[in-house]
This record gives sequence, structure tokens and C-alpha cells, in this order.
Amino acid sequence: MKIQELRLDNFGKFTDRSIRIGDGVNILYGENESGKSTLHTFIKGMLFGMERGRGRASLHDTFSTYQPWKNPGYYSGALRFESGGKIFRIDRNFDKNAKKSELLCEDDGEQLSVEDGDLEVVLGGLNAGSYENTVSIGQLRIETGQPLAAEFKNYATNYYAAGNSEIKLEKTFQYLDEKRKRLEREIKDSLADKQARRERMEQEASYVWRDVHRLEEEYSRITEEIRHRQETDEQEETENRRVIDELRPKKWRIHPVEIVVFIVIVVLAFILIAKPWNYLVSIIIFLTCGLYVWNRMKVGKRQEKTPPEIILEEITPKEETIPMEKLLWERDHVGEELQEKKTQYGNLKEQLDEFDEVSEDYREYDKRRLALRMAADKLNELSGELQKQLEDRLNGKASEILGCITDEKYTRLLIEDGLRMSVMSEGRKIPLEKLSRGTVEQIYFALRMAASHVLHEEEYPVILDDTFVHYDDIRLANTLRWLCENRKQVIIFTCQKREARLLDEMGIMYQERYV
Amino acid sequence: MEVCNEKRADLLLIAGDLFHRQPLLRELKEVNYLFGTLVDTQVLLIAGNHDYLKKDSFYRTFEWASNVHMILSSKVTSVKIPELSLAVYGLSYHAREICEERYDGAAPDGTCQYELLLAHGGDEKHIPFRRKKLLSLGYDYVALGHIHKPCDMELGKVPGTGSLDTAGIEGGDCGFEAWHRSRMAYSGALEPVDKNDTGLHGYIEGELTKKGCRIRFVPCASREYVHMEVPVEKQMTGHELKKRIRTMIEDRGTQNIYRIILRGFRDPDVLFDLTDMDSWGNITDLTDCTKPAYDFARLLKQNRQDILGRYIESLIGYEEDSVEYLALCEGVQALMETKVTR
Repeated sequence: MKIQELRLDNFGKFTDRSIRIGDGVNILYGENESGKSTLHTFIKGMLFGMERGRGRASLHDTFSTYQPWKNPGYYSGALRFESGGKIFRIDRNFDKNAKKSELLCEDDGEQLSVEDGDLEVVLGGLNAGSYENTVSIGQLRIETGQPLAAEFKNYATNYYAAGNSEIKLEKTFQYLDEKRKRLEREIKDSLADKQARRERMEQEASYVWRDVHRLEEEYSRITEEIRHRQETDEQEETENRRVIDELRPKKWRIHPVEIVVFIVIVVLAFILIAKPWNYLVSIIIFLTCGLYVWNRMKVGKRQEKTPPEIILEEITPKEETIPMEKLLWERDHVGEELQEKKTQYGNLKEQLDEFDEVSEDYREYDKRRLALRMAADKLNELSGELQKQLEDRLNGKASEILGCITDEKYTRLLIEDGLRMSVMSEGRKIPLEKLSRGTVEQIYFALRMAASHVLHEEEYPVILDDTFVHYDDIRLANTLRWLCENRKQVIIFTCQKREARLLDEMGIMYQERYV
Repeated sequence: MEVCNEKRADLLLIAGDLFHRQPLLRELKEVNYLFGTLVDTQVLLIAGNHDYLKKDSFYRTFEWASNVHMILSSKVTSVKIPELSLAVYGLSYHAREICEERYDGAAPDGTCQYELLLAHGGDEKHIPFRRKKLLSLGYDYVALGHIHKPCDMELGKVPGTGSLDTAGIEGGDCGFEAWHRSRMAYSGALEPVDKNDTGLHGYIEGELTKKGCRIRFVPCASREYVHMEVPVEKQMTGHELKKRIRTMIEDRGTQNIYRIILRGFRDPDVLFDLTDMDSWGNITDLTDCTKPAYDFARLLKQNRQDILGRYIESLIGYEEDSVEYLALCEGVQALMETKVTR
């Protein structure tokens, strides 16, 4: 990219002024307060816009500083530049009421949109931060400081570490991370789903288990009942039987032998006992026997139920009156059902065990998760490597430039984390703080140029605003020679005649303009 | 049962695993009723590793219909059916796993004209046997159970084109479905029971005469599990893919249940919505194995210096189903998708 013309319609102290800038070294000479810094700001404002601050901050911001002295409502200009073989023209009006910015390709008349980022595309991705940190070097502000370090890190990961300006590693990591999260959500959902199914199965098992329990209780209750009944039946029977009952066959209520015995006793009593007592005794014995027989016969008869007995029967629960056969049938039935339920429970248990085996799906998920993690790790590792390489390249380039400027006094520049720098001289490491102001500035200059070289695909014009105040003639000459050999367009704002003289001495072509 | 009655089959052989788990009494009653509907057919069955004879298994006490004979012994014993001059040998599982080779020494005693073996298992943990050994024992036919896929063990045939690959069953005039001589086969399950149980399912019809045994496999399952690979091309869109899956399913039969794997290369910018591909409601599983159509070799060549090239370089050359390969695809995709196009 090369700047071709600055047109200041109304900017700062300038009104309707046009400055043409050519290839190679351009020296814009002006005395103090002639507006060199204004021009510098103008270029930046044209390229990246200028926003008015809000509230108190607006009193001293760049916007207010360069607001035109006359006609402050009309605050605009244009910049023509060449990029990729085409001439573009940016028109801006900074005034808040008539704010506009237009980008026009003068070759084919295409109107581009600044709002949509076309300008950044045309500039090859250069942004204000990067511009300030590399090619634009303001008055006494040569240190790049922390912003460049941050910028550099950004670039290192995004821009060069990827080795391809189109690759945005940050976004790539974000993409992978999102994908991983999505996958994890999917895994979680599938696990939850599986868990739900498992719970349903467990619930079913628990129902069956409850059934088993209930049936077991019922079974034991029925068995107990049956045992109880059998026992009481036996007991009743034994109670009712007396000694004679033992002898007597069951079907007889009164054994014939008993009757024979009674007759014998009566007859014997009649014969053996003297008269007349025998009549009386015999009759008494006969009556006693008769009473016994009658009593026996009565017991054998169907017992009449007394009213209290009937009531008692009615209030006793039905189960107790369930016939024995039914109880036995019930026991078998419950037993069968119990076995059935137990089998079912066993089957469900088995199913649950099988359920716990690691499924194929899960293995697949695991693989995908591993793959995503591996991808992120690998990319991280590689970007680290590339960043290291980039730093080496930056070191190398900066050292080379510094060598040129200092006549090979300092051939080695060490840039450590956070851009802490030191130089090597005659085998000694010298930190930046111990170097002279001029040298420090030269080091930063070398760093900026190296960074621009390493970071930017496209070459931008180098803009130097009274940068060389602390340089001695030899080093300035070296610097100028390096610039004109290595950069296509250099714009030097200066209030001294030194640069022009040195260039003349070296026989280097340059264009000089008075601001 | 209908087939048995229709063909007036003499014998129905069930080589174990009639139930997948312990049978419930009501289930046995149900099955017994079905067996009872058979007019001329004697049923012979054994218990397999899934419905093995537990201590309180209903099999032990169940009273089968008169035409059903279950071999309950854990040693090879025989059931004789004099009217067919036939003896069927077999054993039932009493445990889930039997690692002994119980069939290898169980030769028939030769007292009947026809002798059959009902055997279950065949793998390491379920009565392993050697094919040749079993064939040499002298049975007229060995009916095998355990694996769910039908397979002729004498000739090594399976239904379809003769290989276990299920993708292209079109033929059908292959060996197993036609009558042929064989003395040993797995009949497989009547219906597929698992989503990986692909291929045809049915029963084996056999004819045992003095000349020997002829069998054929009769497919009868009402549906099939099909693993289908759907080719995807580079310029295919989601809608097109959906249409293709639909027509492929229609061609193969909509009654079947599908597990679909997308193969091939897809446009890296296209991400298929896999939830919206099931036009017929018979896809259990849809896996996208398509690779974004990145030509890794070419990308590597073009980007040797930058992170993309280095990334490819560090992961290229792994197996296609390895984690590394998947990581390669994911990483390249992530890099390409987030790339800023000018």
C-alpha cells in the first residue's frame, strides 16, 4: 500500500490543502507548529476514522484538538492511496452532524462500504493498533511498549502462528470448544436417557419385588393357618376322646359290651343282694345305666345350636370358616404365583445387569470426545511451536536491522517474554535501561520495522514524525539508508534539514515538501 | 404352528433358547397351548443358555401337552418316538455357561433307524464343539441353536449371497434357500431380536429319508434389521440426502428397520441435520461417517508452512477409525470453518 495524496478540506489549521506523496523517501519539512503532527493525525484519521469522545474526555481528545479552527462544522478530507495495483480514495467528514465515510475505487468506480469493513480488507487487515505499533512512529513516542507485546501475542497466535492470515486460531479453538460442549451435552442427554430407562426398569423390579414380598407373606400366612387348623383339629379330637372312647369303635355310640356289662351288673345285684334290698339296688343300678345310655345317645345326636352359638358363628370372620380344601388350593395357587414373580424378578435383575455393560454408543462418544481434545491439544502445541519460531524470526530480523543502524555494534537483540529487551555487545548482555536514549530509540525502531516485516503481508508506508532527534549523524545516515533500501514508501516529518542533507550526501533520491 | 400343520410336519425341533430369560408359568402355558394346536407334529425341545434350568425353573415341573417332549437332563439323553422310528438326543443347560465339550463324545447308540441331535451353543462358554467331530458322530441331522443367524454348518452357507455381509441381498437363488443335502445347521431366530441381528431370518425345513437328510432355509421374518451404507457425494445437500435415504429404504423394503451409515465425502460447509432424515420412521440409528471433502494431501502441500499443514502432517497416516484420524478431521474442519475468507 502506498499513500498518494492527502487532501485536507478543512482539518486543524489546514483549509483546502493538498499534499502529494510519491514513492521512496518523502521528507515533509516544516518548522515547529507548522502542522506536521496534524498531518500525521490526519493520515491516521483518514485510515481508521476518528471518534469524538464523550463528556469530559471530549475536551482534550484528538477530535477536539484537530477540529478546524475556522468553520468547525465542516471537518473533512480525503486520502488517495494505492493498494493491490488499484487506486482508492477515502472521503471522510468527521463532523458529528454530517458524518460520512466513503471508499471509492477510482480505477473501476466501485463504491465500497467502510461500515462493512471493506476498508480493512483493502488495507490488508491493518488496524489502528497494529498501525500505531509498527509503521506509524509519532513524536517522542518511539517505545512500542505493552500494546505491541499484546498485539504481538495476538498476531503470533492468530496471524502468523497460523502462518496464514486467513486462519483465526482463536476462533478455531472456540469452534472446537463449542463442538466439544455440544458433544458433552449429547453424552449427558444420552446418559440421562439411559438412566431414566434404568430407573423405569428398577421401578418395575421394585414392584415385582413388592409382589414377591406380599405373596411370600400370604403364602406363609396360609401355611400357618393350615398348620394351625390341623393342630386344633387334632387337639379337639384328643380332648374329646376318653379312655373308654379309646376302646370303643368310633361308629358305636354305645358299645354292646357296655350293655352286656350293665345287664350282668343288674342281674348280679339282683341275685347277690338279699331280698328285699335287691329290688331297690337293682332298680337304682338299672336307672343309672339307663341314664348313662340315654346320655350317650344324646351326645351322639346332632347338637342343637343355642342362640348365643349362632350369633358367635355369624360374627366370626369368613376366613376362619373357609373350608380346608379351599385353603389348600389357595396355598398351591399363591405358591405358584410366588414362583412366577420370583422368576420375573430374576429376569429383570438379569436385564439390569446387562444394562450396565458399557454400550457401543458410549465408546463412540468417548472416541469423539478424545478426538476433539486431541485436536485442540495438537493445535495448541503447534501454535506454540510456530509462535516460538515467529519470535525467533522477529529476533533475527530486529537484530539485523539494529546491526545495520549501529554499524554492527549491536548485532544481537534479545527479546524475551513481554518484549523485555536487551542487547548483546562484545559478549555481554546489556539491559535496555542501561543504554543511551538514542540507542533505546534505535532498538525500538528496529523492533517496529522487524514486527512490520514479520507481521504484515502487505508493505505499508513508514511514517516517521520527528523520530530522529536523538540520532547522531552516522546512525541517522545508516537508518535512512536502511529505510530507502528496504521500504517502498517512507514519509518523514521533520523540522530539521539533517535528513535531507544526509540523503544528499549519500546520493539517495528523495522528495521534499514544505508543510 | 401354522406351517407345521400346513406341511403336516412330523417333528418340530427347538434347539434351546425358546425364551430369552427364565420363562414365566403363564408364558409356558401360552406356548403349550400353541403346541397343543399341532395336529401331527411332535415337538422336541431343550433349554438353552438363556432359559437354562434354574433350581426353581417352571420347566422342571411343567406338564406339557402329550406331543411335547422336553429333554431336561444335563447329560446327553434321548427321547424315542417309536412311530417314527426316531430317537432325538440332546441335553438342557442347567447353568448359564457350560465350558465342557459335552457333545463331542455323545454318539448315538444306533437302536433307532433315525437319530437326531438337538444341540445348543458352540462357542467357548457354551459347550464348544468341533464341526467335523460332531458330523462324524453319526447323527442323521444335528439341529443347532444359540446364534441368531441361520448358518449351514456342514457346507458353511448363510442365506443371501453366501457371505455374512448384509448389504446386498438380492439374489436368493443361492445354496441355503434351495433344497440341499446337509447334516448340520443353525436355524437362527425366527425374527431378528437385536439391532445388530441383520440378515434374513426364518426356519429350516428338513426332510429325513433313508437316503439322508435334505434341508432348506425358509425366510419368514416379517422384518429385517438392515445396516445400510448411504453414499454421500461432495455436492450433496441435506434435502438431497434425505431423498436418497428415502428411496434407498423404499427399494430395500419399508418394513425393515435400518441402521444407516453415511459414507463418502461431503461439502465441508454442509452439516446434515441427522434428526430430520427418518422419512419412514424406521431408522434406529444414523451415523454420519462422511468426511468433509478435504484432500489432506493437497492441503498439506499447499500449507506446508502454516499451522494447517503442520497439523495435517502431525496426524496424517493413521487408520480411518482411529482417534487420531477423527482428530485430524475435526481439527482441519475447525481450522477451515473458522477461516476468514477474503
